[in-house]
Amino acid sequence: MLLDNKEDYITNVKNFTSSFDENHFRSLASKDFNNWPKPLEEKWRLSRLGALSRIKMMPIEPDLKKISKIDKKTGSFFLKFVDGAFRTDLSSDLPSGVTLEELDDKESLKFLNKIKESDLKNHPTTNVSLSCTPSIIKLTVNEGIKVNELIEIIYEGGDSKFSVHPVLYIEIKKNSKLSLIENFDHITSLVMPLQLIEIKEKGSLKSIKIFNDHYNTYNLSAHCAFLSTEANYNSFSLVKGGVFTRSETHAYLNGPNANLNLNGVYISGKEQHHDLTTAIYHDVPNCTSKQIVRGVLGDSSSGVFQGKVRVAPNAQKTDGQQMSKAILLSENARANAKPELEIYADDVICAHGATVGELDDNQLFYLKSRGIPENKARKMLISAFLKDIINESLDDQFHDYIFNEAESSLSFIID
Amino acid sequence: MSLLEIKDAHLKLDNKEILKGVSLTVNKGEVHAIMGPNGSGKSTLSYALAGREGYELESGEILLEGNSLNEMSADERARGGLFLAFQYPVELPGVGGMSFLREAVNSRRKFLGEKEFDHLGFVKEARKEASKMFVKDEMLKRAVNVGFSGGEKKRFEILQMAMLKPKVSILDETDSGLDVDALKIVSEGVNAQRNNDNGIVVITHYQRLLDYIVPDFVHILSDGVIIKSGGPELALEVEKNGYAGLINAA
Repeated sequence: MLLDNKEDYITNVKNFTSSFDENHFRSLASKDFNNWPKPLEEKWRLSRLGALSRIKMMPIEPDLKKISKIDKKTGSFFLKFVDGAFRTDLSSDLPSGVTLEELDDKESLKFLNKIKESDLKNHPTTNVSLSCTPSIIKLTVNEGIKVNELIEIIYEGGDSKFSVHPVLYIEIKKNSKLSLIENFDHITSLVMPLQLIEIKEKGSLKSIKIFNDHYNTYNLSAHCAFLSTEANYNSFSLVKGGVFTRSETHAYLNGPNANLNLNGVYISGKEQHHDLTTAIYHDVPNCTSKQIVRGVLGDSSSGVFQGKVRVAPNAQKTDGQQMSKAILLSENARANAKPELEIYADDVICAHGATVGELDDNQLFYLKSRGIPENKARKMLISAFLKDIINESLDDQFHDYIFNEAESSLSFIID
Repeated sequence: MSLLEIKDAHLKLDNKEILKGVSLTVNKGEVHAIMGPNGSGKSTLSYALAGREGYELESGEILLEGNSLNEMSADERARGGLFLAFQYPVELPGVGGMSFLREAVNSRRKFLGEKEFDHLGFVKEARKEASKMFVKDEMLKRAVNVGFSGGEKKRFEILQMAMLKPKVSILDETDSGLDVDALKIVSEGVNAQRNNDNGIVVITHYQRLLDYIVPDFVHILSDGVIIKSGGPELALEVEKNGYAGLINAA
């Protein structure tokens, strides 16, 4: 079906799932956000959106003249989204073999259909994002193109009582390779980034997401990834900003020998709530997935890791590993971990573990017995806890950068 | 003034009295050995001296060069010149050996009003000391004690001692887990640091270690009190007759 105009597009979005309410489109203020998941819904039980439903909100009208306030931090190529709208004027050129386009209606439909194949079809933010986004932007790495330079994507803008909806579609074609760093840096608003990633045969994507929105910002990030045969996806999220940030990833291992790393760190202080939610679907044999999540929580913050790994009956020889660890630095901090394994195949290696605790007494005493002051000793142990996973997850060139990003937030929760 | 003075130290753990009035004086240049059977309170005493949380004295006092340590935290005591070589050195994944050492040494130097080492200056100093303890460069690059053998761990403890230049060192069962060769290296490392200004307290089960680190005084700790003190010959008596004879006689 071709979509001739915007109206059709809306109609199509409306048909996309039954729960879609067309009143959401451009008129969110007239309705309460009463389609937000209720606390009884299992997927949102640990991350409640009640407070959000009490805020009257409008999708933002992107101001295409708005000045960028965030400097790029690394890399020579960068893309900027302001108020959810892609800004050519603020972005650099792209390496050769990499293209960027705004999807037309026909392509948008393909995008929708692909989303429909994932769990995001029932996701509370999908419809809102699709209805409210200024445009769907597609980044393509052409077949056989191995991009050695890093591309940085900066998402900024926002306004209080407004929602922001960047939507990005990334296609890594056969035998191609890309590295991305995405920075979310919005001022107070509700941000709902939606992302679809397709990695074709033997393609490789390395992606780092840094959630660093201003305090009081809600960020409900939803992203799904489809991996073909021998595709490689290495994703790392650093969640540190916002009053409520949920980074949700659904990954589909659809081709044999695909490999996924889905690691993340959250650093939470004050009243922050951070949530890393993942679902990994092993649908074919011989794929591997590995997940390490670490959290450091201070003040009255709370953190959630919920990770589902589903191994289909024919997905033999699956190797799925999942490990989450949270360290509480204050009596009022809370961490929840909910690993879920659903295994329907019998010849698999799957393991998961989750711990929530305080810093190790023995280690602390050992450092102090060497004259290192308590505070410094705590910092050293937490830094080590994070360095460990950062070094394991990322290429050498990013270790210092990401570690410094993490450490800058740590200083707020360790006095 | 004595270097270290323990005055009638009483300590309870879980409401059970472990130290029942330990007194001991260590003067400059002295090496004291504390021997005793399992459960006599040796490790508790070393934790109490080092200031581990939960090991505060019920009554009595510990003095370092006349200053009471009772109210001081472990790190304050260490900066002030007290060192504990652990029976089981703790692994610190992700904490690099070199930066750990530098942090420790600089904390002490800062306390003493000495200039802190910069990175390069420290690396040079650490390598010099490390080679004396047969600690390879590669070991300093690794995370502290992670994947170290028993011998490597103890050598690394003594390297820390050498670099921190403490006034009083407490060596808690430093011989445990060591073969004869490793025991020799570690003992030589300790002996090299014996001088007229510092004091060493060696806590051990066995006389074996005392063949290498020859003490000036030997004390037998049993059921939370020192039941007998003497010279090195006391250790030989233990070796020959066991603790039982001494304890019964006391």
